[in-house]
Amino acid sequence: MIQINDLKKVYNGVTVVNVPQLKIKAGESIGLVGNNGAGKTTLFRMILDLIRPESGEVLSNGNKVAGGEDWKNYTASYLDEGFLIDYLTPEEYLYFIGGLHEQNKPQVDEALLGLTDFFNGEILRKGKYIRDLSKGNQCKVGVGACLLQKPQLLMLDEPFANIDPSTQFRLKNILKEQNKKHGVTTIVSSHDLNHVTDVCERILLMEKGKIIKDIATSSSTLSELEEYFGVGQIASYDGVDKEENH
Amino acid sequence: MISTFFSHELKSFWRSTNTGKSVAIKIVMGVLIFILFLYVLALGLFLDKILGAVFKGQNQTIAFCGILLVYYLFDLISRMQLQELPTLKVQPYLHLPVKRNSVVSYLALTALMSFFNLWPIVIFGPFVLKVILPASGGLIALAFFVSILSLAIFNNYLAMYIKRKANLNGWVFLVATAVLVLITCGDYLWHVYSLRNISYAFFGHLITAPALMLAPLLLAVAMYYVNFLYLKSNLYLEELSSKKEAYKSSTEIPFLNKFGSVGDLVANEIKLILRNKRSRSSLIMGLVFMFYGLIFYTQSVYGEGFKVFVGMFMTGIFIINYGQFMFSWQASHFDGLLVSKISFTDFLKGKYLLFTIVSTVAFILTVPYVYFGWKVVLIHFIMYLWNLGVNTTIVLFFANRNYKRIDLSKGASFNWEGVGATQLLLSFPLILFPYVFYLPFKYLKMPDVGLAVLAVIGILFIITRSFWIKKLEADFYTKRFKIAEGFRNK
Repeated sequence: MIQINDLKKVYNGVTVVNVPQLKIKAGESIGLVGNNGAGKTTLFRMILDLIRPESGEVLSNGNKVAGGEDWKNYTASYLDEGFLIDYLTPEEYLYFIGGLHEQNKPQVDEALLGLTDFFNGEILRKGKYIRDLSKGNQCKVGVGACLLQKPQLLMLDEPFANIDPSTQFRLKNILKEQNKKHGVTTIVSSHDLNHVTDVCERILLMEKGKIIKDIATSSSTLSELEEYFGVGQIASYDGVDKEENH
Repeated sequence: MISTFFSHELKSFWRSTNTGKSVAIKIVMGVLIFILFLYVLALGLFLDKILGAVFKGQNQTIAFCGILLVYYLFDLISRMQLQELPTLKVQPYLHLPVKRNSVVSYLALTALMSFFNLWPIVIFGPFVLKVILPASGGLIALAFFVSILSLAIFNNYLAMYIKRKANLNGWVFLVATAVLVLITCGDYLWHVYSLRNISYAFFGHLITAPALMLAPLLLAVAMYYVNFLYLKSNLYLEELSSKKEAYKSSTEIPFLNKFGSVGDLVANEIKLILRNKRSRSSLIMGLVFMFYGLIFYTQSVYGEGFKVFVGMFMTGIFIINYGQFMFSWQASHFDGLLVSKISFTDFLKGKYLLFTIVSTVAFILTVPYVYFGWKVVLIHFIMYLWNLGVNTTIVLFFANRNYKRIDLSKGASFNWEGVGATQLLLSFPLILFPYVFYLPFKYLKMPDVGLAVLAVIGILFIITRSFWIKKLEADFYTKRFKIAEGFRNK
């Protein structure tokens, strides 16, 4: 589905993304983890042809993403509020997105019925512009718009960050269902290790622009990741304990 | 504490993206403000001469005293339209251990930092120094200064108070405006009373009894105190902020449906224009420009050459005024547009369609100028064609070179966000090109041929539009990363 060759991005002399080789097969569910500044969002943006890489290329279904239009037909993504047209009401925005994929209003309405639980009555017919919604509800609109497009590739950047626990739970189910039932390739980044290991079958761990771990999720993955991210903290806890013992 | 607030305030001004990051913009902005200041200062310095010319045979001082209250009436009206509430700035301090009194006095005091409070001193100060000081002495001049300043401050806080009340209840604003309009009409339309006489009644007596200056002073202090108390008891964000919570309904523009996805894009952009402050004011500016013709056509000094210019502005002001900031208007969701299934050809066609719709409306609105002769309407029509053909393409060419983000939620007055060299460069071809083709024929005594040439070029560009769209699209693809990156920079 996605192939990345020698992809590199440099900002002010600092390499923020450096991926020599990465292959994502159709139907995989990828979880992208890494601390702030690891290059997750930059990698997302390059896969979506939003920033120009210093070198290398991203292929989607064998075609170059850069300058191409074809991938837009089967790729849906939500990275941040910048993807929403914030002066529209959610309904107007969703009809607009549906319209781009040749869906008329009744078709959109029908598709939205499936999202009733996910929207939890907070999105539609509320009489608010998207800009007046909370960040969590904006995220729901973005994810809803993605699902409306019936994509083959779904990319979400930290979708769990602002939404409430019930919605997190529902979103996890939606992602699993999309992946398992509809064979959608999903790429999701998150800081919540429980969620990614639950949803994704393959975890990519990024550090300073490089993918330093590429693991198939198993029962030990969570503890492996916790160990990586917890290194500094465990050490400092030890220090405190010792002092208290004295 | 207040001094800390003020240092934060200064920093927020100089570091704000509105002020513009580059030195060039700061200089241009400084020069423009300075020129405006000079104009007002000139008005102030020559006020005695102007009053003498306007009110012939009347004593200058009487005329001066007469216009003061009239000035403050219009001052209040324009303050209510233009002056912005200094509100949300206090948000970062509300949860900190800062006394409510200092927060409130900070809010109340920063409200004074407005150009509106500077103008009365600049306009009336020189007159007081030049005429009243020599004639009546220092104490009277002081009384005038105190009164003038106090009334400005009174107006300042009254406008703030009305605006804050209006945030909670929209009717307040309507009622206040209606009262002001009634006061104005009562004098100028129905002649029930004369504001100038009332004004003279007060300021005239000021010369004999300077102690009267205490009256406006008291008014100003009282108004400040009312504001202070009101703010103190309403120091909650939702009440301070200027957002109104009304039900926002989804709307459709059926006429655009037949244009398919291009129509959808135009419908979105029309919503963009109508639902955001700054874009809305650029549209309103366009409506105001419809009266441009009245200035020039009523005076025979301006020949036909001027009509080309005026016609272009009236039918194309929207293309120029709104188009100069393209695609910055969509900066906040540009990433979303890039990854969604919109071809740039459709995107550009949408822009052309939008320009066509608005320009057509503008042309229809200018038809009444037929009063000044059928040829005026003909020239308007030719310039309408020129706008649709040539100017749209020029504007979109420069839109590909515009990398500055615009925050739609901010108002338009003194907002320099998104202004850069592009806008300056854009104005040259827009203003010069029609003359490049028209003037040679005019000097050959064939102005009609010149008009015909403009029309033919306009039509040619309209016919070859799909060619230009292709060119613009190819151009866009070489620049889109830079555009998208610029728009991401807040």
